[in-house]
Amino acid sequence: MRAFTYTRAKDATSAIKLLAENPNAKFLAGGTNLLDLMKEDVERPNALIDISELDLSEIKPIINGANQGGISLGGLGKNTDSANHLLVRQHYPLLSQAILAGASGQIRNMATNGGNLLQRTRCPYFYEVAMPCNKREPGTGCGAREGINRMHAIFGWSEHCVAVYPSDMAVALTALDATVIVRSANGQQRSIPIADFYRLPGNEPEKDTNLMHGELITAIELPKNRFAEQSYYLKVRDRASYAFALVSVAAALEIEGNTIKQARIAMGGVAHKPWRALKAEQILVGKEATEATFKRAANAEMADAKPLTHNAFKVELGNRSIVLALQMAVNGGKA
Amino acid sequence: MKDIPKVTGTPINRIDGIAKVTGKAPYSMDHPVKNPAYAILIKSTIASGKIQEIDATAAEKAPGVIAIITHQNAPKLNVKGGLRGGALLQSPEIEFFGQHIGIVVAETFEQARYASRLITVTYDKKEPKVDFDNLADQARLPKDKEKADARRGDVQKALSQATYKVEEVYETPIEHHHPMEPHATIAEWNGDHVTLYNSAQIVNGAQTATAATLNLKPEQVRIVSPYIGGGFGSKGGQWANLALAAVAAKYVNRPVKLALTRQQMVNSVGLRQHNRQKISLAATADGKLTALVHETTTHCAINDEFIEPCGDCSKVMYDTPNSLITYRVVPMNLILPTYTRGPGKSTGSFALESAMDELAYKLKMDPIAFRIKNEPDRDPSNGKPWSSRAMVQCLQEGAKAFGWENRKFEPRQNQQGNYWVGYGVAAGTYPAHQRPTSALVKLKRTGDHVAATVELAAADLGTGTYTILTQTAADALGLPIQNVNVIIGDSDLPPAAGAVGSVGAASYANAVNDACVKLTQELVTKSGKQFFVRPTAAQLMRSEKITDFQTRVDSKPPERAEDYSSHSFNANFAEVAVNKSTGMIRVNRFLAVTGAGTILNPKTARSQIIGGNVWGIGMALTEESVVDPRWGNFVTRSLADYHVPTNLDIGQLDAIFINEKDEHVNTLGVKGIGEVGIVAVAAAVANAVFNATGKRVRELPITPDKVL
Repeated sequence: MRAFTYTRAKDATSAIKLLAENPNAKFLAGGTNLLDLMKEDVERPNALIDISELDLSEIKPIINGANQGGISLGGLGKNTDSANHLLVRQHYPLLSQAILAGASGQIRNMATNGGNLLQRTRCPYFYEVAMPCNKREPGTGCGAREGINRMHAIFGWSEHCVAVYPSDMAVALTALDATVIVRSANGQQRSIPIADFYRLPGNEPEKDTNLMHGELITAIELPKNRFAEQSYYLKVRDRASYAFALVSVAAALEIEGNTIKQARIAMGGVAHKPWRALKAEQILVGKEATEATFKRAANAEMADAKPLTHNAFKVELGNRSIVLALQMAVNGGKA
Repeated sequence: MKDIPKVTGTPINRIDGIAKVTGKAPYSMDHPVKNPAYAILIKSTIASGKIQEIDATAAEKAPGVIAIITHQNAPKLNVKGGLRGGALLQSPEIEFFGQHIGIVVAETFEQARYASRLITVTYDKKEPKVDFDNLADQARLPKDKEKADARRGDVQKALSQATYKVEEVYETPIEHHHPMEPHATIAEWNGDHVTLYNSAQIVNGAQTATAATLNLKPEQVRIVSPYIGGGFGSKGGQWANLALAAVAAKYVNRPVKLALTRQQMVNSVGLRQHNRQKISLAATADGKLTALVHETTTHCAINDEFIEPCGDCSKVMYDTPNSLITYRVVPMNLILPTYTRGPGKSTGSFALESAMDELAYKLKMDPIAFRIKNEPDRDPSNGKPWSSRAMVQCLQEGAKAFGWENRKFEPRQNQQGNYWVGYGVAAGTYPAHQRPTSALVKLKRTGDHVAATVELAAADLGTGTYTILTQTAADALGLPIQNVNVIIGDSDLPPAAGAVGSVGAASYANAVNDACVKLTQELVTKSGKQFFVRPTAAQLMRSEKITDFQTRVDSKPPERAEDYSSHSFNANFAEVAVNKSTGMIRVNRFLAVTGAGTILNPKTARSQIIGGNVWGIGMALTEESVVDPRWGNFVTRSLADYHVPTNLDIGQLDAIFINEKDEHVNTLGVKGIGEVGIVAVAAAVANAVFNATGKRVRELPITPDKVL
């Protein structure tokens, strides 16, 4: 760990100001990912602005504005609190399931909602400074492209980076069309639809998101929806707890009679960002909720997959997982 | 005076339990020393070549840095002193990725780690030999004579004539021990004597190897290791970090604390090697084995050989007139492999017991009946009688307890919701030995109160050594357990065997028992009286009004122990549920039925067995250390990447012990349980996966992608 200064911010305004002044400063919230990366010499901030005591942890109904009738999750709310909050469990069980599918109880108790969105890839080449990694050190090359890439991307990767984004929570947020609310140094508030929040690696894999330096995530807003009865988060992994997804699927349906009125599908473990399965969604809408429809939708989405040396299994697994997640959603989460 | 009930064989709680859960049990780094400095190891970032230059200019100027030690200024050490794996800073040669190439010593751990990152090293790189798949065909005959080809009869002929046979290759990956307590040492010099606080499964072995490496006499080195936070073989033979802590402490003339980080564990303290095992089995139509061939190909270090004995189970498990066991090995630029729980047996039995299951299926025989049909009445490898062998009993009692009759013979016949459910069985074994061990027993009487202190340089890996020795001494002396104090884990104590190879309990308990028996006899002699019923030592202390008495024995195995073949045996039963869509596997139930002679404490013994079962399930389903074949580095360096099973992966675990009296193995009839718990677990799980899904996975671990 390199030497750094530590400042405990009193309020959001001063926290943002402190960060904006120093291009090498970082916010510290739960610290569950940042501190690990600092110990490994991957992240090298020279200043940490501790925002963990700012008053930004409330979960509340949204009374007005674009997301009226939805809920707002404070940027500094703990993952555990968000997953277990009555409003979340009643109206967004998909989100609750996704959060609880991630990390471990201890980590979720520390990790914050905003921090969860900003966690970095678990690509082993990113984590070891002796290895090449364009995300950690642009221009050094991608260790995983021709290396060990069983856990890596099958969608949207570039020659510069094949890493996947690790969060489960953000996959559910993507399916639920969440909006990330940020405050900038100039005091302005900005609303970023979650679909625009994350990036594909392209030529700049060092950028995980479109958040700008000095911006603070104050809240995550979820619009009102009618998916609560028929949604499911499926996470396929190498062990049943405390493992990142091989593939995960957040599926949410609104069904009238047996006809699908609306469908939302997002995938984790397959791309540099939560992967919204728009092709699959298009096929589902207006159709009957049958296994045959689900299979067609899954096939349509996975047909575009471009697997690497060690992860071809993710195509078949993704296919099956979409079908299973949709079936589970239809059955209200029961197999 | 009323008799004190015997405690040996009863499930008393762990003697050291309270100290551990309250944080009072000192592990290596917890021992108080004055003014310690902190060291961190610098590691190579290539797997093969030579260090050209080390630029430590910036590091030397970094805050808190006291010293930087590399091959350029390290003292001359004896590289053949007995520490494993080289990496003692004696030359610029690099033999594996992550080899120690230096030490940074600073005032704090953080300062040392920071400074270590300011060091730049330039290398003459060579192409590393790290890709086992490409190198396996270059494997050579082992140097180790015990790994020479072992042939009985004519396997070629038997195989060519057989209608029923299996010829398959089974792969097990590199695994790491990853004990919860990473390897750590505090080194403190006093003149030309050094005390090393360092977890050691073999206390005296750590002492002699470190002394020889440092060019000291054994008595100049003291190893203090009262508690061990897991070892699993990685703290048996010791590694360079132990001597380098002493080197650093000498260099800076202060006590030094040197701990490995989790990430450094993958290339510092050995590993279980990747084994490629070909099994060829042949049988008659009625299920009698006619040939068993077990051919292992594996890797070792570039300049040192260690080979897991994967063929060991195949030597003793089944009766067959024709048998061939071979090993081939290819040196690679990876750290020296080493003993890992159930060394050779767990990996070897995965291959053998999977093949047995495959052949039973071809024969349309129940796999338990098939095994019983081939039960040998003597050790097939040497013709010796068994000291005891409860294999059949384990299988039969296990089948009954597990509900084996509910198993469907054909796979994919048991569907529960979205899961295929399957049952698997596998048989395991591990040799039982007693090793020479000394013990000192001291009695002290105050009024009517008699207390005992038992001293020996034994080790407790967390397995229950303190507890079983307290029980053994209490019974042998006629004392309640609270009057017995067991002191172990210090090389200043009488020398003892290591807690390795399942010899700990047999060696230690017999030595303590022998010492107590001898002490009692000496008290009888001292009294000058004759007794119709022999009194206990405690009674004699009181009746003869003796205040202090002590004796020591140098205990050895019984003379005729070598006339017998002695092994623990067990039967393992697994029920798995495999998700039909995702391939995720859960072990619903696991049962191990073990015949291991006298069980000194059923509670700690059960923990040992189910602990082994859990690791075996990890071996079957989750654990794998992955090497990048271009550079020789491990990409699985943390416990987030190297998966051990979690509670959610496993349902119910059960252990049953056969009531077995072995009168030949040693005085107390103890056979050892540390290793046998893991041995046949992976095969039982893999066989259950086949029974569930019809998919035979011959390459561990069985991750979801392999059963899709």
